[in-house]
Amino acid sequence: MNNLAKRQQHGLPMPSTPGRPAPFSRPGWQLWPGLTIASALVLLSVAGLGALIWEASLPDISQLWQSRYLRTVVTFTIWQAFLSVLLSLLVAIPIARILARQPAFPGRAVLLRLMELSLVLPSIVAVSGLVSVYGRQGWLTGFSSDWLGVSWNLYGINGIVLAHVFFNAPLAARILLQAIEGAPPSQLRVAAQLGLGRWWYWRAVEWPAIKPVLPGVAALVFTLCFTSFAIVMTLGGGPAATTIEVAIYQSLRFEFDSGQAALLAMVQLIICGFLWWLAARRGLTASLLPDRRVASHRTKAGSSLQARLADGTVLGLFVLFLVMPLLAILTRGLPGMGSAFFPQGSFSVNPALLDATVRSLAIALPAGLMSVCAALLILASGTTSKRPAITRLTDVAAYLPLIIPPLVLGTGLFLLFRPSLGSSSEGLVLVTLINAMMALPFVLQMLKGPLGSLDSASRQQADQLGVLGWYRWRWLHWPRMRKPLALAMAYGTGLSLGDFGVIALFGTPGQPTLPVLLYQQLGSYRMDAAAATGLWLVLLLLVLFSVFNRLGSPLHKTGLATTSPRRVPEPEHA
Amino acid sequence: MLIRAFALFLLALAFAPAHAQKAAILTVYTHPSFAAEWGPGPAVKEAFEQTCNCQINYVVLDSGGDILQRLRLEGKSTQADVVLGLDTATMETTRQTGLLANHETDLSALNLPINWQDPVFVPYDWGYFAFVYDTEQLPNPPKSLEALIAAPDDLKIIIQDPRTSTPGLGLLLWMRHVYGDQAAEKWAQLNGKILTTTKSWSDGYFSLFMNGEAPMILSYSTSPAYHMAVDKTDRYQAAQFEEGHYLQVEVAALVDSSDQKKLGREFLDFMLSADFQRHIPLKNVMYPATDLGDELPSVFDKLIQPEEALYFDPKTVSDNRRQWMNEWLDAMTR
Repeated sequence: MNNLAKRQQHGLPMPSTPGRPAPFSRPGWQLWPGLTIASALVLLSVAGLGALIWEASLPDISQLWQSRYLRTVVTFTIWQAFLSVLLSLLVAIPIARILARQPAFPGRAVLLRLMELSLVLPSIVAVSGLVSVYGRQGWLTGFSSDWLGVSWNLYGINGIVLAHVFFNAPLAARILLQAIEGAPPSQLRVAAQLGLGRWWYWRAVEWPAIKPVLPGVAALVFTLCFTSFAIVMTLGGGPAATTIEVAIYQSLRFEFDSGQAALLAMVQLIICGFLWWLAARRGLTASLLPDRRVASHRTKAGSSLQARLADGTVLGLFVLFLVMPLLAILTRGLPGMGSAFFPQGSFSVNPALLDATVRSLAIALPAGLMSVCAALLILASGTTSKRPAITRLTDVAAYLPLIIPPLVLGTGLFLLFRPSLGSSSEGLVLVTLINAMMALPFVLQMLKGPLGSLDSASRQQADQLGVLGWYRWRWLHWPRMRKPLALAMAYGTGLSLGDFGVIALFGTPGQPTLPVLLYQQLGSYRMDAAAATGLWLVLLLLVLFSVFNRLGSPLHKTGLATTSPRRVPEPEHA
Repeated sequence: MLIRAFALFLLALAFAPAHAQKAAILTVYTHPSFAAEWGPGPAVKEAFEQTCNCQINYVVLDSGGDILQRLRLEGKSTQADVVLGLDTATMETTRQTGLLANHETDLSALNLPINWQDPVFVPYDWGYFAFVYDTEQLPNPPKSLEALIAAPDDLKIIIQDPRTSTPGLGLLLWMRHVYGDQAAEKWAQLNGKILTTTKSWSDGYFSLFMNGEAPMILSYSTSPAYHMAVDKTDRYQAAQFEEGHYLQVEVAALVDSSDQKKLGREFLDFMLSADFQRHIPLKNVMYPATDLGDELPSVFDKLIQPEEALYFDPKTVSDNRRQWMNEWLDAMTR
């Protein structure tokens, strides 16, 4: 079929370039790139795992239920992840509701940035912060035992769950907030007109809005806690707190038993994969909310003084929970900042720190960009294709990087590429690629909702008008996607900026990235310098999230490109 | 705007200097604390390059275990000429890969607490595992392992996990050396005092010990040297135990498939010279492998002097490690 015929089939020519078809308007452009990436991801993961098994041959599977050790490890891993998810969601849902109810209060933007930050904090820095607040000598521990007569022991399952809630509840709340804010405005309007009370508002508006994303969020948090490693060991108290990931590390790094590692990785794959499958099944039914975006109508539910006070109290407690460990990181890092920025009395950045920062950004920014592009392409092919097999494949590909232990994947890939992995710059490219891959599940989670929220009437109309390919993207999706894209980009970049695992795996030349520099300083007793590097990393992440947030909200409106779906002006109803 | 910034950025990457080198290159696999800017790595590199018309290229891996793992994975196609940063716990497994060559270095200059005659591995530093304590929180530390085990449970210590950390494994061997078959029982008694078992030394030292979470942490007898010489504080000291202290020796070796064997052997010889060894005490915070005489920083005289160096032959460790580890796990999770 030639282009002309196709254009005629789709109706009118493009508004701006009457003679030529829109760039990238062939349906294949929406399907094939994403499909290729998805297949490559699945292939790489399978090949990585396969290479390990090939190396060692799979051990006796029966040891999984015969060895008491492995049994306790699997049970403990599931138990702590389950508790962490439950508590994270119990914190996240009310916080998301309050933040949606109170759309304008001083410091709201800063709070959102801090919430975004918690997930990407390097775990050793965050744990140090948590310990200074909740540890045996922590601020809060001292306060509560002196004044309230309450004492607790951080080390054990409570410490693990506390840390996991600290890392994941803000992330969950952030995604749920996005879902509530994206609730169909017609529902909001009706709810506002009826003057619904809290409970009915929850039933009619909030719950339907978060229900479709909740299984995905729960699965995401579960997987993160399931694969958690250093935090579990540091705060777990002893070897009774061992997750599967620890056992994998042990078998790969200390016992050189790739077979056992592969076996454990498969257990992890099966448990988390099953969960994702459940989530996908539950989520599929309600992922598209066919409704047109209209002007927003503020609800009255959060406006009475009493309600505002209650909201303020809960939010205040959450802010304390989030900010206290960050403050501890700040106070601990400040003394070392002196020598990092004023080495000879006058202001100049320590060259090692500066180099590491540049190097980190050189890996993290391309990695973030790659993961966002890959996520968009995968989502595009997932929604374009009518065949369930392809949709399933894109779903699987998106979450595999989260479930396969990085150590297993890395070792497997290393075995595969063994002869060709020559220079260290190739290693850095590989690090960038793997970082992009690791960030993909998060980026996808950020983008899936907003991309799917385009209502079918707009879609049909765009089809009729022949708004296809690039133009469709530019005028239909971009205005809605700008904000989520910026957030996704921030997460993608932030995750690889704070990454230590992948880069340590492949070996680096002498020049370190920021997290590697941090570990080098720790390894050489430079505790103050390390604390300063940690603080610097946190500040950098904060700046990164603010910059991307700024890029996500345009300063002036241009034509159709209205700032956000909420504020599409009335006259544009078709 | 964003796109333009990225384009510029990518362009900048593309023009990053591509360096061309003519001199022979010696590739050394090592770990971060050696290669760090303030570690011995850069100074050693400079000193050696002045003598050899060659260039040292460090490839930095996460730990000694990772060096071994990388070597195993790469096999004979490895780029490494020398591996530096293995220790007595990983030595035997590395030897069994059959990827290493004999060193031919004269070991007579060695100054270790034990007699060293290994044909493959050359030691470059050593130290004792010890519990470092905070004198402000704990003015009177236990004087022996036995006293520590018998202490009331409100004395808290931080240890590292033998499954993931070198000092952690060191304590496992230490306990085994002192108590033999009774080790499991003693571990069970010690358990109540263990605040937590961290993944790595850094996690425990930085996040917990320096935050004052526990007055004692498993570390090295040389750790106070850094605090005294660089931080200028006597606050952190190592507790001397009557039973003696377990020994760690860090070693390097030549890779058999290297095409720079002569250069590699020169490097191993150089390793035992003063030009290399003088960087060990304060930059690696360990004892030098040879006698430095007056060059040894004076803070090293203030360190504890264990009466006995406890040490298992690397072969014994490699043969029994799994069983001992399982005993430990059993005792700790009972």
